[in-house]
Amino acid sequence: MANPTSVATRAGTTNAPEGTDRLHILVILVEDRPGAIDRVVGALRRRRANTQSLTMSQTGKPNMVRVTALVKDAEVVIDQVIEQLRKIVDVRQVVNATDKQAVLRELALITVDIKSAGLHAIIEVAHQFGASVADVTADSVILEITSDAQTLEKLIEALQAFGIREIARSGCVALVAGGE
Amino acid sequence: MAIATKIIQQSDATKQGEQQGESVRELTGSEIICEALMHEGVTLMYGYPGGAIMPFYDALTSYPTLHHVLVRHEQAAAHAADGYARATGKAGVCVATSGPGATNLVTGLATAFMDSTPVVAITGQVASQFIGRDAFQETDIIGVTQPITKHNFLVRNVAELAEAIHEAFRIARSGRPGPVLIDVPKDVQFARTTYRASDYVTSDEYLRSIAAQTSRPSEYILKEAAQLIAQAKQPLIMAGHGVVLSNAYGELKAFAEKTSIPVITTLLGLSALSDAHPLHIGMPGMHGPAHANHAIGAADLIIGVGLRFDDRVTGNVSKFATNAQIIHIDIDASEMHKVKVATVPIVADAKVALAALNEVVAPADHSAWLGEIRSWQAAAEGRSQQIKRDDTIPSPIDILSTIRDVTKGEAIVVSDVGQHQMWTARFYEWTRPNSHITSGGLGTMGFALPAAMGVKMGVPDAPVWVVAGDGGIQMNIQELATLRQEGLNIKIAIMNNGYLGMVRQWQQFFHSRNYSETPITGPDHVKLAEAYGLVGIRVTKSEEVEAAVKRAMEIAGPVVVEFIIESEANVYPMVAPGTGITTMIEETAEGSTHNG
Repeated sequence: MANPTSVATRAGTTNAPEGTDRLHILVILVEDRPGAIDRVVGALRRRRANTQSLTMSQTGKPNMVRVTALVKDAEVVIDQVIEQLRKIVDVRQVVNATDKQAVLRELALITVDIKSAGLHAIIEVAHQFGASVADVTADSVILEITSDAQTLEKLIEALQAFGIREIARSGCVALVAGGE
Repeated sequence: MAIATKIIQQSDATKQGEQQGESVRELTGSEIICEALMHEGVTLMYGYPGGAIMPFYDALTSYPTLHHVLVRHEQAAAHAADGYARATGKAGVCVATSGPGATNLVTGLATAFMDSTPVVAITGQVASQFIGRDAFQETDIIGVTQPITKHNFLVRNVAELAEAIHEAFRIARSGRPGPVLIDVPKDVQFARTTYRASDYVTSDEYLRSIAAQTSRPSEYILKEAAQLIAQAKQPLIMAGHGVVLSNAYGELKAFAEKTSIPVITTLLGLSALSDAHPLHIGMPGMHGPAHANHAIGAADLIIGVGLRFDDRVTGNVSKFATNAQIIHIDIDASEMHKVKVATVPIVADAKVALAALNEVVAPADHSAWLGEIRSWQAAAEGRSQQIKRDDTIPSPIDILSTIRDVTKGEAIVVSDVGQHQMWTARFYEWTRPNSHITSGGLGTMGFALPAAMGVKMGVPDAPVWVVAGDGGIQMNIQELATLRQEGLNIKIAIMNNGYLGMVRQWQQFFHSRNYSETPITGPDHVKLAEAYGLVGIRVTKSEEVEAAVKRAMEIAGPVVVEFIIESEANVYPMVAPGTGITTMIEETAEGSTHNG
């Protein structure tokens, strides 16, 4: 996965003006056939989409997989990527949920050291962000948070002072409000 | 009792008769592949047997209408299927075993993918229980070919097999065509199930059904385009492979004539409009004639039809057609704005879009603009004629015009990749629609000879010439044995300059004449032809060219004609990579010079 702050340089084609890149949320519905997810990931790689996160899971529909990709790129590049994804035979639908009223959520598990500040101080910070305690050991606590990416980033920043040992993030999922 | 038995026997017989009438039979997977191919109208395939595809080859002998051509390398099978597809518009079929057989197809599939041609590849795979265990001759060919096929299938169960075959043909031939691979494990080839052809939609039926639904572009977008065309003072049409693939020759000609807009044809668009047509002005890009590139530079509107603005066409994109607005017609929505942002994007089949556009545009006269382009052409040709050349050795231009004259323009010419390819594109006069076949996008050396086998078998009445270099011909030379085996009346012109000429030319221009690994020796091509049981002719003098081409045409069988040409001849003009196409290296009496 690319560095979040860098935008992939392109071969002089589709010259997107500098600074026009932003985060796009692509919701891709794929038929669950051998190699289908490979093709989606392969297309993102080949077309050099600046992918920030990628999740996949079952949907309510039989034999359909939902892929949510966060891609940081300019509008003109994203439209290209979407059309490339639509060409994949197994792909049923691609929606750019960025400008739609969409709910975005990401789950994170964060292991924080409790030796320096103590458990209570950490829990106090965690509660401010709506995080809860998932597990506690003698010297560490695992916090759990489900939120939008921004809140999550802020919590991580706030916890840095205590000493973060490990972070596991699920990647983003999204639903367009009133969809289907 | 006796009567009852009789009735039962009769009813059984009727039932069997019905079943036979509906052709519901239990077949092996291998037989289903053959039946499905026949249902698709396939009569010809190219392939090579091996362990994991043996059940299929066993079944094949029971289907005499399926002609299998045993090639001498699987790469040639893929190119031959590709050549057949390009020449006929139907899907070409190739077959290989697992592992090395399948990986040998890769270059051919990538070639077909880049040039959007419908090829169906069937590969054997190790038995299902061995997949993923690094079995003998196991390769994950689905993974390998994923980025170079339009789609691919691993058939996990014999019940999925027939639909996979038919779907492969539908995908390969519809929309923007492309290669599709079907990987069939050996146990699936042995397994049995019922097959009834009428349960499946063939690609022909499917193409007919979607043709009925193919609507013309919206009136709004047509109006936008027509308005741009009406306002343009110096418009150009750029026609690409899409025009050939959609058989839109008549529509292109009618549109160009009604609007009197000059037409540029890309490498793969050559012969979409006859070179002899007064509005045809040539090929664009790296080796296009100066006037065509200058026309692009001066144009205020470019109507791109079925082309993808490849970098060999555009040169430096930021300097390409800087004064032009763009109407881009392509069946693939992902081509829109990929390289150049289109003012009016039209996602549609070239034939449908051109016909619709022709209804809404007003007749116009652009003769002054065409006259200007012709004056640039005359000036460049005048400069070129002043250069003194050695006229004792065969010149590429002379070889090509002789082939054209002797075949009266009826030949289909299949070129390989390199200098001879550019000379062929530029100096052969293309008047027969779809007569120019070459590997454009991938630039695959070794393409021409095997592709020509597919061309000749697809269009048996046309004279077929291969034009290749002494480097590329070696890359699939083994197919001379296949020519002999099939008795294919193909003529092969080898332009022998003792170099990998195009690379040498780049070394001369851009690497200070450091001819690193480009001098190349070959076999005695005449003896080589004879060794394969063919006729070989060597031409070393310019005065022998015509007699040699005539003699080759008189011989009723494959002939290899080797032309010894100037060793350091260059393709002019040339746009240096990374520069704008209106800045060209031109030939001068003293050598070459950069010319704005």
